[in-house]
Amino acid sequence: MSGNQSTMTAGKRVASAVFGVLLMVAAVGAVGFTLHKASADPQKKLFATKTSETIVIEGKSYPKATITMGVYADTAQAKEMGYNTTNKKDYVQYGPSTHIVLPAHTYVTMTIHGYDGGEKLNAPFFGKVIGTVGGTMNVDGVDVSEIPADQVQHTFTIHSLPSTNRDPLFINIPLQHVDEGDDGLLPTKDPGTNFKGHTITFSFITGGAGEYVWNCEYPCGDGTYAKFGAAMSAYGYMSGKVSVA
Amino acid sequence: MSDDHGLVEMQPTPGQKLAAIFKQREVRVATAWGVLVTFIFFIIGGWIYPSWMPIAMSTDMKSIERLIVIFTWISAPICGIVLGFSIYTFLHRHKGDTPPADGPAIRTNSLVVGLWVIVSSALCLVAIVYGLIEMNTASAATAEHKKNAMVVEVTGSQWAWSFNYPEQGVVSHELNLPINRPVEFRIISVDVNHSFWPVQLGVKVDANRLQTTVVDTTPNKLGTLDVKCAELCGLYHAYMETSGEVMSVADFDAWVTSHQGGHTA
Repeated sequence: MSGNQSTMTAGKRVASAVFGVLLMVAAVGAVGFTLHKASADPQKKLFATKTSETIVIEGKSYPKATITMGVYADTAQAKEMGYNTTNKKDYVQYGPSTHIVLPAHTYVTMTIHGYDGGEKLNAPFFGKVIGTVGGTMNVDGVDVSEIPADQVQHTFTIHSLPSTNRDPLFINIPLQHVDEGDDGLLPTKDPGTNFKGHTITFSFITGGAGEYVWNCEYPCGDGTYAKFGAAMSAYGYMSGKVSVA
Repeated sequence: MSDDHGLVEMQPTPGQKLAAIFKQREVRVATAWGVLVTFIFFIIGGWIYPSWMPIAMSTDMKSIERLIVIFTWISAPICGIVLGFSIYTFLHRHKGDTPPADGPAIRTNSLVVGLWVIVSSALCLVAIVYGLIEMNTASAATAEHKKNAMVVEVTGSQWAWSFNYPEQGVVSHELNLPINRPVEFRIISVDVNHSFWPVQLGVKVDANRLQTTVVDTTPNKLGTLDVKCAELCGLYHAYMETSGEVMSVADFDAWVTSHQGGHTA
């Protein structure tokens, strides 16, 4: 083997090694990019509306903000109620977005219109109102602190991971289910539709900036085990993000 | 064994065999690497790794921490020897296009094999016996705990924990405990299986669907608790965490008083 040939062989080796490394970097990058794209929030953010009012709670003044959501039994009902959902699956779903953005250090009043029926909570604990101002919520004009476990349609439950860099935020709102005996027919475009619903209002105070998640604690998906499949195991339906900014 | 002249060939003793092995420079260098790696793992296991672990807030956690340190020390020589020879082999690997001819095949070396089996067995035996003693100590402590234990009913559900204190009449999503009082956790899941893991208490127990599992511990240090789910349980498993606190008896009583008949806000 001549010296020239050896040099070329070594050069090829280096080129092969570099090419191999670049190929691996490209493959890892492609996987990362794909995963990032797949996990990206598919929905537009729903921003709370700040008002000019303030409120004093325990000697401290907070600006006020409001935000409104709905929870619908399926796509048809969502559209009937004015939420033009783009979700591909015909699941029970919150709307108009599952990614909500709230201002920090603010008295947030949230309204949820609930149109779904219900069965029974797995964990009665989530029938309690937790984390709101006064420990209550208002259901169709009546303040309550708890809903019986067998009368809940869904819950709106905000979690926060223990973190030294984020204020704790744990809020649980059980939504009163809708049944045949409820009053208050909702206005619908189709007179034949018999949708009824409840309006739940509650207030809580946000801390500093941070990212949280929320989900429904009522087993409203499908699957033979605990009904946490389908809507409960897919993004954009019964769970989402809470950005406090 | 004798040769053609009737002379008896003396078989080397095990000591001579061992000495012959260690006369080889390669073995001495590889062994030196092994000793160095063993020493490094000994230091990591005894002093560095414990500093990475969560603060021990119960005797159980302290016991687990000690067990991990001792097991690391026990396994350090084995890891050291394997890595030592690996390092030597890597550093003295063949460079170039034409590989050298294979060396003579090593059919067997009863001494080395025997030593390896005996030492490995002894280390395993120590680990087993030590583990059994620790387990027995924990069981004895459990019996003692039950006399004055405070019951906390732990419910796992996708994807949050809730804690019921029947004696105090409190339900909470935070795990608050008084210091130095034994706690009996009654753990259950209402949907899929979870795993209850208050990290600093050294407890990690499966929360099985509709089956109650009981485990005891005694918090003995004030501080914050991280409570996690250690069993993959669905979409928001990663968020199935909460916090808590081991607090003074006075603070715990005050917390109970402020939440009796309700829940934590």
